[in-house]
Amino acid sequence: MSFKHYGSRKSGSVGWLLQRITGIFLIFAMVGHYILMHYTPETGHSYEQSIARFSNVYWKMFYLTFITLGLWHGLNGIWSILRDFKMKSWLAITLYGIIVISGFAFWVLGVSTALKF
Amino acid sequence: MKVTLRIFRFNPETDSEPYYKDYEIEADPKDRVIDVLHYIKNEIDGTLTFRRSCLHGICGSDGMRINGKNMLACSILLQDLGYSDANKTYKKPIVIEPLPGMPIIKDLVTDFTDFWKKYEAVKPYLITKSPPPERERLQSPEDVELIMEASKCILCACCTTSCPSTWSNEDYLGPAALLKAYRFIFDSRDEATDERLDIIDTPNGIWRCHTIFHCVQACPKEINITWHISKLKQKLVEREI
Ligand code: SF4
Ligand code: SF4
Ligand code: FES
Repeated sequence: MSFKHYGSRKSGSVGWLLQRITGIFLIFAMVGHYILMHYTPETGHSYEQSIARFSNVYWKMFYLTFITLGLWHGLNGIWSILRDFKMKSWLAITLYGIIVISGFAFWVLGVSTALKF
Repeated sequence: MKVTLRIFRFNPETDSEPYYKDYEIEADPKDRVIDVLHYIKNEIDGTLTFRRSCLHGICGSDGMRINGKNMLACSILLQDLGYSDANKTYKKPIVIEPLPGMPIIKDLVTDFTDFWKKYEAVKPYLITKSPPPERERLQSPEDVELIMEASKCILCACCTTSCPSTWSNEDYLGPAALLKAYRFIFDSRDEATDERLDIIDTPNGIWRCHTIFHCVQACPKEINITWHISKLKQKLVEREI
């Protein structure tokens, strides 16, 4: 149970701030999403109506922001939880790699889907 | 009244693992937990080992877990724990354990080595670089107000050992050391702000705090530790952007 000090390794502050900013965005986006998609069926769940939304430039911008910030928030949150546990550095690097690669893959998938229409 | 104290016992020289021992005693609702521990040690079982010094909530040496909560044994009456009827025989025991997450030296005595290392890491002393003024380095009442609450800390470790982040990562700096960092970072006379911010802005430093507030609940001095940690986070963000 030795205590390791601590080289200065800057910095967690930007990640911490971004996590909060993206979190606030997601609160509004998620509430909006639920109201729109689950409580007001007339907004349309059919294929044609979804395509119409995706073709609208404002909706497209919203979806791209949602995908980017949602993914970043979620994956940064997972990484932050993992870092609460003591890990061997090989394990930390592997887990970090999995998070970055899967995040990038999901982002490409999401963005390419949104841009198709 | 009659109460039973169920006390965590462990002597690493003779016991292969810890156990709990019950002591049924006659006590007064106005007795403090430390009084009944003294009674057991002096009258029933001299092998019981615990720390204490001032007996008045000043030295911070008798932090322990009482009925599941970290507190000072000298600052809690039995009636505050719900044992308030002088004529009753209580069935529910008062469970007394050492502070959690620390190595145990014997019974209720834990090893503070790591706690002090974390404390030392934040440089818990005033650092000045400018030449000393003719008289003392003055502070305004507002300057003092800013660090007043943080200065009340008696280093009992009740906060750090109640923090889930410390339980999952023993290298986490912990609330007591962070509070001490605040005490000097926000001291208007101190001139090592950046140095100290660098020390807490590390993977095992301040970012392991997830604002869970256990530390605040545990602090016998009622210091709002999480508020102070949040001020440090704000200061780090301001420095970075
Ligand atoms: S607020 Fe932070 S330091 Fe306090 S118990 Fe929670 S995680 Fe630990
Ligand atoms: S902040 Fe409170 S609980 Fe923590 S060491 Fe200081 S006095 Fe004890
Ligand atoms: S004995 Fe000093 S604080 Fe309790």
